[in-house]
Amino acid sequence: MSPSELPAGDEPSSDFLNDYFAECDEHLMGVRRLLLRLEQSIGRGDINTSVLDELFRHFHSLKGISGMVELRPAEELSHRAEDYLRALRRHDVRLSPEGVNALFDATQLFEQVVNARRSGGVIPAIDAAVATIAGLVSARPADLAAPVPGAPAGAPLTPHWRFLFAPSRELVGRGIRVDLIRTRLTALGEIIHAAPHVTDSGMIAFEFIVATGADAETIAALQQDGVTAERLPDASVVSDPAAAVDPEWPAVGEPSPVAGSVAPSHVVRVDLTRLDDLMRNVGDLVISRARLGETLARIESHVPAGEWRAVQENALVIDRQLRTLREAIMRVRLVPIGEIFRRMPFVVRDLARETGKRVRLQLQGQSTEIDKFLIERMMDPVLHLVRNAVSHGIETADERVAAGKRPEATITLSASTAGEIVTLEVADDGRGIDVEAVRSRAAGAGLDPATAGDAAGLLELLCAPGFSTRDESDRASGRGVGMAVVKSTVEELGGVLRMETAAGAGTRFIVELPVTLAITDALIAKVGAETFAAPQAAVREVIAVPLSAIRALEQNEITPYRGGVLPLVRLSRLFGLADAARDTLHVLVVGTGGSALGLAVDRVVGQREIVVRAATDPLVKVAGISGATDLGDGRVVLIIDPAALARQMRGRPAGVVDGIAGGGGR
Amino acid sequence: MRKILIVDDSTTIRKMVRASLRQLDDAEFVEAASGLAAIEQIALGPVALIVLDLNMPDMHGMDVLKFVRGHRASKDVPVMVLTTRGDDSSRDTALAAGATLYFTKPFTPPVLLAGAKDLLSGVGPQA
Repeated sequence: MSPSELPAGDEPSSDFLNDYFAECDEHLMGVRRLLLRLEQSIGRGDINTSVLDELFRHFHSLKGISGMVELRPAEELSHRAEDYLRALRRHDVRLSPEGVNALFDATQLFEQVVNARRSGGVIPAIDAAVATIAGLVSARPADLAAPVPGAPAGAPLTPHWRFLFAPSRELVGRGIRVDLIRTRLTALGEIIHAAPHVTDSGMIAFEFIVATGADAETIAALQQDGVTAERLPDASVVSDPAAAVDPEWPAVGEPSPVAGSVAPSHVVRVDLTRLDDLMRNVGDLVISRARLGETLARIESHVPAGEWRAVQENALVIDRQLRTLREAIMRVRLVPIGEIFRRMPFVVRDLARETGKRVRLQLQGQSTEIDKFLIERMMDPVLHLVRNAVSHGIETADERVAAGKRPEATITLSASTAGEIVTLEVADDGRGIDVEAVRSRAAGAGLDPATAGDAAGLLELLCAPGFSTRDESDRASGRGVGMAVVKSTVEELGGVLRMETAAGAGTRFIVELPVTLAITDALIAKVGAETFAAPQAAVREVIAVPLSAIRALEQNEITPYRGGVLPLVRLSRLFGLADAARDTLHVLVVGTGGSALGLAVDRVVGQREIVVRAATDPLVKVAGISGATDLGDGRVVLIIDPAALARQMRGRPAGVVDGIAGGGGR
Repeated sequence: MRKILIVDDSTTIRKMVRASLRQLDDAEFVEAASGLAAIEQIALGPVALIVLDLNMPDMHGMDVLKFVRGHRASKDVPVMVLTTRGDDSSRDTALAAGATLYFTKPFTPPVLLAGAKDLLSGVGPQA
C-alpha cells in the first residue's frame, strides 16, 4: 500500500506528499510549543493534562499520516513519543528532564526524517532515539505519584456562558459554520465544553460552555450569526460535563492550536506577487504624479493666479491621497515579526543543550510589523546572530558563576519601529567580544588588526569574509551564513548593522531596516549635469561646506564636523564628472561615529518619494549604486547606496575605488 | 447524488480517502475537519455514508458515532470508522457503538473502496 496505489486521478502522489509536509510542519510547530510548556512542569508534580492530551493528539496524527505516506521511521518515532506520553498520562512514569529531552530529540529527528524525505536525502537512523524512549517508558518508579485530579483548572472567577449555535444552509451560505463559531469563541476565552445538542423540536444545535470575561456587547454581536448566549450562574459549572468516551484520552481537549484572535472569515490569503503588482501600479502612479507636477510647474506662468490656486490645491490633494494609498498597500504587506521570533526558542533550547549552557530567551516586540519580503530575507541572519550569541556570546554556567554572574544567561531578541525604520536587536549578557582574540585572528587572516579600534571597526573585522573567531567552524554557527552574509544581507535591504560590546557585560547586535522597500523618500542631488537620489533613511544630515573648509590629508579630504573631522568623498571625482564651479558644496552625512562619511555633491535640490527599481542584474550592478528611479520626466536617475560607498571608501584614497571610477549616469 | 461525508482532522487523509473513493458512482463528497463540523453536515441534509476518524481535537470520533446513532435523521447511515493503527482496542468499542465497518490507517485504498461500495449498495458487513 502506498500513495501511488491510489486510483489514478488528477492528484499525483506528490500532491499528497506536499499536503503531508505542510501538515507535519503544523503539527511540529504545535508539538514544540507544547513541549516547552511541558518542560515547565518538570518537578512540579502536577502536569497539565490538557497539554499531554494535545501533545498526544499531535503525535497520533503524525503517526497516522506518516503511515499513509509510508515514511516508517517517522511513523515509528511518533509512535514511541505516544508511548511515553501515554505512560505519563497513566502516571506509570514521572515527568523527567530526560523524558522531555527525549521528546525534543524525537521531534527534531522526526523533522530531519521528513526533511530528508522531502529533499530526497538520506533518512537518518532512529534506533538510538527509539531505544531512549523505550528505556524511559519501561523505567517505572517504585512509588507512583498520586493521580492528578482530572478536572481542568478553570479560573473560578471567570464568568461562564452557555452558547447555542444552530447551523443552517443559510448560515453556511454566508460562510458561518460551527468551526468558525468555535474559533470565535476560542478568541473570547476558554471553551470548557463543546458538544452537539438536539433541541426539543429535533433540530441539531451545538452547545458551548465558555469561560470568558468578554463584555455583553461582544457576546451580543454573535447573535447575528445564529448564536444565542446565556450567562450561567457561577456555581453551576462543576467540571467538564462532556462524557469522555475513551477514559484514557478525554475527547474535549484544548482548543485547536490554529485558533487565533482573528476569525478566519475576516482573513484573505493573497499571493505576494499580486501585492507586488499592486505596489508596482502605485509606483507608476507616483511617477505620473511627479510628471504632472513638472508639467504644472511649466505652465504656472500661463495660468491666471486664481485658476492656478485651484489646480495647485487639487494637485496637493492627489499627492496626499496617493501617499495614503501607498501606505495602505504597504501595510497590507506587513506581517508581525513574530514569524521570525517564533522559531528562536527552539533554536536556543537545542543549542543550549548541545553546548551545555544555561540560557533564557527574552522576546520583545513580537507584534512589530515588517514587510513580508524582509521577514523572509532576515530569517537566516537573525538565526545566525542568535546562534552566535549562544555559542560564542555567553559563557558556561560555571564561568558565569566564577565571574559573579547568575548561572543562567539571558539573550534578548527585540524589535521596535520608529517612523519608517524597524530596529531588531540581539543582545546577550555574556563575556563580550575579546578584542585581542579578534586582533590576533585578524592578523592571521591577513586583515589589518588596527581596524579593531572601536566597535564599528571590530564589527568590520568580524564581518570580513573568511573571519571566524573559532578555529573549527562549529556546527552551531557555521550553517552557511556567516557574519559577512548577515552584514551584506542587511545592507542589501537598505539597512545598517551595528554592534555594541563590553568586556564581561555582553554584546548587542543592532539591525536597522526600512519597514518596506519599493517606494521610499529620497534626497535628490545634482553632481555636474547628473542627478542622483540618496535614500533619506541613510542620510543623517545635510550640511553646507565651503570649499575653504575642505582640507587635504594625505590623499583624502576632510572637513571639520561636530568637534571632529569628517572624511569626504566628492561624488564628482568618484564618478568621473566635472567638479562644480561653486564655492560651497552640500555634504550628505552617512554613518555614525568612526564610520561617518560625507558624500559631497554640488547641491541638494529637493526631497521626494521615489520608486526604487533595484539593480540586480550582475551586468549593470555597480558597487555604490543600488538601483535606479524615474523622477517623472523620463530620465533615469541612479540611486546611490551610501552604506556601500562608505564601506568601499574606508581606508582608501579618494577617487580610486575599484569598480566605481568612470561609472557615471546612464 | 449520494452525499459521502469524510471526517478527519488531517487534510492529507481526507484527500487520500476521497481519491480512494473517487470511482463510486453518483457520489458527492463533503469533508469535515472536526467532529462538530461532521455533525453540522448531518444537520444540513441527508448523508449516505460516513468515513469517520476517531482521534480528533474537539470531539472524539466515538462521540460523533454515538450522536449519529442516537439521532433520528442519521441512525441508519452506515459509518466506516478509519482510525490510526494502535487504537486496536477501540475496535470492539466502536463496533459496539454502532460502527458498520472498522479500518485502520494506513489503509488499503481498494479495500476501503470495496467496503464503501458494499455499504452503499445495501450489503451489510461480512462479519
